[in-house]
Amino acid sequence: MLRQAPGHAAGNRPGNRQPQAGVLLLVAVLTLLLIALLGIAQRHGVAPAAAGPVPVRLLMPAPFVDATAPLLKTFHRSHPNLRLEVTRGPLDTEAMSDLAIGALLLGETPYDVMLVDVTWTARYAAAGWLTPLEPLLGNDALEGMVPGARLGNHFDGHLWRMPFNGDTGLLYWRTDLMDKPPADTAELEEIAGRLQREGLVRWGYVWQGRQYEGLSCVMLEVLNGFGAYWWRPSAEGVAPVAGQTDLASPGAIRAAAWLQGLIRQGITPQAVANAAENETLQLFAAGEAAFMRNWPYAWREIENGGGPVTGHVGVTPVLAAPGQQTGGTLGTWGFSLIAGSPHPREAAEVIRWLTAPDTQRQLVMAQGYAPTWSALYDDPELARLQPLLAVQRRALEEALVRPLTPLYAQLSDLLQRQVNGLISGGGSAPAAMAEAQRRSSVLLDAASTS
Amino acid sequence: MSPGLLEGLLMLPALLLLALVFLWPLGAMAWLSGQASSVLTGLTALPNGGANWLRLLGDGRFWQDAGQTLRFALVSVVLELLLGLGLALLLQRPGRGRAWLRTLTLLPWALPTTVMALGWRWIYNDPFGPLNALLGLLGIGPYGFLSNPATSWLFTVLADVWKTTPFVALLLLAGLQSIPLELRESLELEGAGRWQRLRHLTLPLLLPYLSLALLFRLTQALGVFDLVQVLTGGGPAGSTESLALYAYLNAMRFLDFGYSATVVMGTFVLLLLAVSLALLLWRRSQPHRRPA
Repeated sequence: MLRQAPGHAAGNRPGNRQPQAGVLLLVAVLTLLLIALLGIAQRHGVAPAAAGPVPVRLLMPAPFVDATAPLLKTFHRSHPNLRLEVTRGPLDTEAMSDLAIGALLLGETPYDVMLVDVTWTARYAAAGWLTPLEPLLGNDALEGMVPGARLGNHFDGHLWRMPFNGDTGLLYWRTDLMDKPPADTAELEEIAGRLQREGLVRWGYVWQGRQYEGLSCVMLEVLNGFGAYWWRPSAEGVAPVAGQTDLASPGAIRAAAWLQGLIRQGITPQAVANAAENETLQLFAAGEAAFMRNWPYAWREIENGGGPVTGHVGVTPVLAAPGQQTGGTLGTWGFSLIAGSPHPREAAEVIRWLTAPDTQRQLVMAQGYAPTWSALYDDPELARLQPLLAVQRRALEEALVRPLTPLYAQLSDLLQRQVNGLISGGGSAPAAMAEAQRRSSVLLDAASTS
Repeated sequence: MSPGLLEGLLMLPALLLLALVFLWPLGAMAWLSGQASSVLTGLTALPNGGANWLRLLGDGRFWQDAGQTLRFALVSVVLELLLGLGLALLLQRPGRGRAWLRTLTLLPWALPTTVMALGWRWIYNDPFGPLNALLGLLGIGPYGFLSNPATSWLFTVLADVWKTTPFVALLLLAGLQSIPLELRESLELEGAGRWQRLRHLTLPLLLPYLSLALLFRLTQALGVFDLVQVLTGGGPAGSTESLALYAYLNAMRFLDFGYSATVVMGTFVLLLLAVSLALLLWRRSQPHRRPA
C-alpha cells in the first residue's frame, strides 16, 4: 500500500497485484515455517516442559468429576510433581463406554487412567487396552476391602482395576405401609398383593425391565435368589471365554417365571418392560409402588426430592426365595491404567491415591458414596452421617458379579432379549430360558473353537 | 489441452474427495467383513474365509432387523410424504401469519433427534406421560406404548413422522413455489376445480421434488439409529431393533468389528437394492401421470 502512488491507483492493475502476491507468499512461508517448528518441537518434546509436573490424564463420568473436584485440590498440594488433567465423560454408562472405546481404538489413547464399569474389565483386558496393576500396586492391593468390592477386578490372573465405590442392587420399601421389610420373595408378593387389594398403593413392586443392562442386573439377582446360576466359570478361569452359562436349569426357569408372574398378577405394572432406573424411581417416589429394586443413588434422590414418600422409605438387601441365599448385583466403577500410557508409575500413584481409605472417607462424608474398604464401614462417625452404610455393607458381603468374560456384552444382550420378550409379550419361561441358554452356548462354542 | 481433458482435470479434486470419503471407507468395510477382528483375536484382523458372511446369511436376527427396518422406513416415509404434501399445500395458501406458521412447522425438524426422542419417551411414559393422561380423560388406559412388542414399532414411526414431516413439507413447499402462477390461472379459466388442478398441474410438476424427498427420507429412514436407541434401545424383545443399531451393538458393545462390518456391508447391499427398486418404480410411474 505504501509503495502505491495515488496517481497509479486506477489504471495500474498489474502493479496493484504485485504487493498482494508478495504478502501471500510471505504468509505461506511463515505458516510453513511455524508448522515445521511445531513439528520439531513436538518430536523433541519441547512443548511439554520437561521440568514441570508430569501430566496424568484421567477420564471419568461427569458426576465423579464433580464429586472429586474438591479432593483433587488437596491432591495437587500433596503431589506437586503430578498434574491431573480430568476429562468429563457422559453420565450414562453406555455413552461413557462409547467414548472410552472410541478413545481406546485410536491406539494412542488420550487418557492414562479411566474409570471403568465392572462389566468392562474382562473385555478391555482381552482387547489389550489395559495394563496389569499388581506390579505397580502390589499383589495385596485389595487387602482390607469388603468381599464384594474385590469381585470383578481380576481376569486371567491379573488385577486390571482398582475399585472406586461399592454399589449393589438394593430393595426399597415403604415404612408407612409396613413395619418391617419382607423376609423373602414369597412374603414380598403377599404383602404387595394385600396392600394393593386394600387400595393403599397402586402397584406392588417395580424394577428395571427395559431391554438394557439394568434388566441383566435384575435377572442376576433373581437367578441367584432362586438358587440358579447365570455363569459357571471354568476351572482354569482363563481366556478366551472362561466358563459357560447355565440358564435352562429348573431354578433359572423358576426365576424367570417369577418375574413374569409378578406382571401377570398385576403386582408389577406392564410398564416396567420399558422402565430403566429413572422410570422406576419416578413410580416409587410418587408413592405409586410399595417396593422398588434400585441402586443406592435412589436413596439420596428420594430423601432430597421432598416427594410424598420422603422420610417413609427403608432400604434392605435384595430378597431371595424362601430358604435361598440372597445377593445383590455389584455395579461399581474402578480405575484402570490404560496400556501405552507414557507415565504408568505416576498414573498408578494417582489410582492409589484416588482409591485410598482417606479419599474414600471424604467421598462418603460429602457424597454418600459406598466405600470399598471394610474399615470405613466400622467408622462410627460415617455410620452416623450415612445411615445407609450398614445395609450397603451387608449387601456388599454377598454381592454378585456378572459373568467375567470378554463376551459378557453379547451374553447380557441375549438374556435381555429373551427376558424382556417374556415379560412384555408372553411366551413361557421354560421356552425363553431354553432359548437364552441355546443362543449363549452357540456363541460360546463358536468363540472357543475359532 | 483438449476441453475434455481440462474438464476431467477440473473434476479430479472432487472425484478424489468423493473417493476419500466414500470409496475408501466402503473398501475398508468390505475388507474388514472378510476378517475375524474381535475381542477374542485381541482386535487383530485375521482372514477367516468368508465365515462372517456365512454367519450373516444364517443370522435370524439380521434378517429380522432387516424386515423391521424396512417396515419402519416404508410406513414412516409414506406417511411423511402424504402429511408433508398436505402441510406444504396448507403453508402455500396466502393468509395472515403465514411466516409464523412456517417457522413453527419447522421446529420439530430443528430439534436434535436424541433430544426429541427423549421427549417422546416421556410423552409415551406409562403411566405418567401426557398421552396416557389424555387416555385417562377418555376413561381408558394406561397403555404401554413402548412395552408391547406387537405395537411399539408404530410409536417409533409416529415419533419419526412428527420429526421429519416438516423436512418433507419444506422441500415440497419449495417445489410448489416454483410452479408458475399463470399455469394455475389458465387452468382455472378453463374451469378446472381444486382437485383437478392438484391432479393435473400441481402433482406432475411437483414430481421431481417428491422423488427427491422420497430418496432423502428413504435412505435416512433405512439407516435409523438414534431415535430407536433412545426411545426403546431396540426393545421390547428386539421388536424395534434396526440394522444400524445391530451394527453398532456388534462394534461398540461386543467389540466384534469383523462381524459389525459384515452387518454394515449387508445393510449396504439391501439399501442399494431398496433404493434402486424405489427409484425404478417411481420412474415407471412418472409418464402416466403427465397431463396429456
